[in-house]
Amino acid sequence: MGLAKYATYRVVNALVILFLVLLITAVIMNQYVEDTIKTEIESIIQQEVYRNPQYAQLSPEEKEQIAQVRRDFYYTKYGLNQPYIVRVLYRAYDALTFKFGRAVTLRSSTGSSLVVDIILEALPRTILLFTTATIITIIIGIILGMKSAVKVGSLFDRTISTFALFTYSLPMWWTGLLFILYFSYMLNIFPSGGIVSTPPPEGFAYYLDVLWHMALPTITIVFVNFGGWSYMTRSIVTNVMTEDFVITAKAKGVPERSILYGHVFRTASPPLVTSMVLSLIYSLSGAIITEAVFSWPGIGRLYWMAISSGDMPVVLGLVYITTFLYVFAVLILDFIYGLLDPRVKVGV
Amino acid sequence: MYVLGWRGVIREFMRYKGGIFGLILLIFLVGLAIFAPVLSSTDVFYKWYEPTYWAAQNLPKGVPPEWINMFGDKTYATQAVLTPEISQPSALLYNITFKYEYTADIPPYDIIIDIFSNITEGSQMVIFMDIIRPDGLRIYRVVDVQSDQSIVKISLRSAVDAPKKIFVFGLQFETEETRREITEKGLLSVLNPMDVVFGVAEEGIVFGRSGPLNGEYIFNIIVYRLTEENTLNDIKLTIAGSVYGIMGTDALGRDLFGGIVWGSRIALIIGLGVAIISVAIALVYGTLSAYVGGWTDEALQRIQEFVISIPVLPLLLILAYVFTPSVWNLIFLLVIFSWPGPVKTIRSMALQIREQLYITSAKAIGLSTWRVISRYILPQILPYTFALVAFSVPGAILTEAGVSFLLGNQGALEVTWGRILNDAEKYSAVLTGMWWWVIPPGLMISIAGLAFVLVGNALDRVLNPRLLR
Repeated sequence: MGLAKYATYRVVNALVILFLVLLITAVIMNQYVEDTIKTEIESIIQQEVYRNPQYAQLSPEEKEQIAQVRRDFYYTKYGLNQPYIVRVLYRAYDALTFKFGRAVTLRSSTGSSLVVDIILEALPRTILLFTTATIITIIIGIILGMKSAVKVGSLFDRTISTFALFTYSLPMWWTGLLFILYFSYMLNIFPSGGIVSTPPPEGFAYYLDVLWHMALPTITIVFVNFGGWSYMTRSIVTNVMTEDFVITAKAKGVPERSILYGHVFRTASPPLVTSMVLSLIYSLSGAIITEAVFSWPGIGRLYWMAISSGDMPVVLGLVYITTFLYVFAVLILDFIYGLLDPRVKVGV
Repeated sequence: MYVLGWRGVIREFMRYKGGIFGLILLIFLVGLAIFAPVLSSTDVFYKWYEPTYWAAQNLPKGVPPEWINMFGDKTYATQAVLTPEISQPSALLYNITFKYEYTADIPPYDIIIDIFSNITEGSQMVIFMDIIRPDGLRIYRVVDVQSDQSIVKISLRSAVDAPKKIFVFGLQFETEETRREITEKGLLSVLNPMDVVFGVAEEGIVFGRSGPLNGEYIFNIIVYRLTEENTLNDIKLTIAGSVYGIMGTDALGRDLFGGIVWGSRIALIIGLGVAIISVAIALVYGTLSAYVGGWTDEALQRIQEFVISIPVLPLLLILAYVFTPSVWNLIFLLVIFSWPGPVKTIRSMALQIREQLYITSAKAIGLSTWRVISRYILPQILPYTFALVAFSVPGAILTEAGVSFLLGNQGALEVTWGRILNDAEKYSAVLTGMWWWVIPPGLMISIAGLAFVLVGNALDRVLNPRLLR
């Protein structure tokens, strides 16, 4: 019963967020789409009525009358004279089925102007970069965090904590700019951006090239995040280490290593997962901007391009799809957490 | 619970080195923000995005700060405004000379002449300029223009024919081969005329390879007027430095120091504004939730969890399109997403206080809910909210910077650190190595964040009852 209630609550929460974002997207999209359609209708009417040689003899008033009839016809055809709520619901339905229409200027690499195509092309690249960087961060973070938890107050511990404090207030994307400035402009050892060289190499060399391009953005994300993650691991682990069962284990003479990894780490893992989920979400927006900085052709870069060229359909599609993925990811992680920690089911 | 008193708090606070360091950084930032009109001018703030204002300032474009002269073995020419010596050999003629002592290794960025006259309509002035170099060589008629405008600005670097005349002077020292190569490849457009003006008259002068020619340069300007009514009111010759000010200039010739200084004001307004409003909302919300309890508590908690799980950046980006861009709207938008942050902490503190005996007594004598909260619970939590405010500021500053960086003029209208970086990215400052445009704004964002985190950490230890052991 507990888990079911927890799950229902989580799913409802996610659905409400999605609905809200859907609504905002629909309202803005409606405004944009209607403006576009209206301009189009006006230009069609210009062609049909005012520049039509058939109507050349008619007086301006008569022309205006015919134009009005045509306008009504098109407004009915495109549903513009329906109540506002209905129109917004139409857009909401469009967004729900990922029909964001066509981009104004942006194109996918295959030349498609469909917003969905453009976004779906960029998405895997973002996932590739962000997942790689996150896995590296988690590994480094946990190892360093456990180490400093064992020696609280040591020089190592203090260095990690100070470093975490410094990187907490460091904008990830600015760090990226600095790294480009140093590693690619001054030292010229990493490319300044992009995902492959032009022209892209063939075969196995292609993957190496992608890895080489991935290096600098990955280093940036890891550099900014790992301090915070180790600090987090450290605080949670030190908390667990003061618990009675750890002291008992020590008294029994269980080896230090096995206490650390068998007893402490196991107990610490559920809160670790939540904290990490939260910080992952927190760093996602930083990662979006970081991607733009590195011209990594993923979601973040697409945001930058769509915003700077004022490509509204793409911006809306991006906002909706990123929110969707985000909410979905949080939901899955919530379930994992619920499974890991039996107390959650009861608590809700 | 709160037993230290103000003096105690300060004494306790002083025990934390990090807190003191944070406080010093904070005082530095607040100082910058308060004295911004003194350190820089208000025009810098109000006209940051007006190209005409910056064109009138005669600043070099995209040059590093002056202090780099203290490092490295080459010195750069600094900014200078020269004083004229004016004589009138005849009624319709002004003869003006400027003297400039050139001692640097890297030539100035530009030479700019500003002429202000009260020229009447239909009339004209003719302006000539020769440059007499320390080696006695003369570059003739570098400027040769007619004008009917009352304000004339001539930049030797960007004027139509001035660079050509300078290169003609320089090319006479080059070999026949080089000359042909330069004309064939059209290299003149990428070469710097200032290298020729301030270079030793030897082979390689047009490429700036012949070395600097130090000594006194004389700029001789002759202004003819057609009628005696047309008087020359003022004339100014600016040597635009190849280094400028404390932080250099950006690609549009703006003084970056001014932008950084004014940016601190906006950053503090946004950071503190968002933090204080958010914490105030959270304070009332959390206390209410804890004190009333039951279904209200349940509902309020669910709402808080809902808002905190909304992804901020995408929504901020799209809402920024709906709202007119301004600092106040940005604060409003940031508050919408950041008030739920401190709610849980405040609620748990309020829950502890609720169980105290004196609260039960207050209830027993029939005080209203609001009175109990405002008189007996809020004052208990209030001191700790200082720490919460300090903790909320970095997030607000970072988000504002990120949004401004992505949105440019769609975010804030004013000059912020994020917008300076947005401009830097637009003009690919990173790829052209303009570090002075990229490093300071980000460093200031980090310093601001760090200052509040450090102060918050120390306050947390001093004021948080859970940690007071």
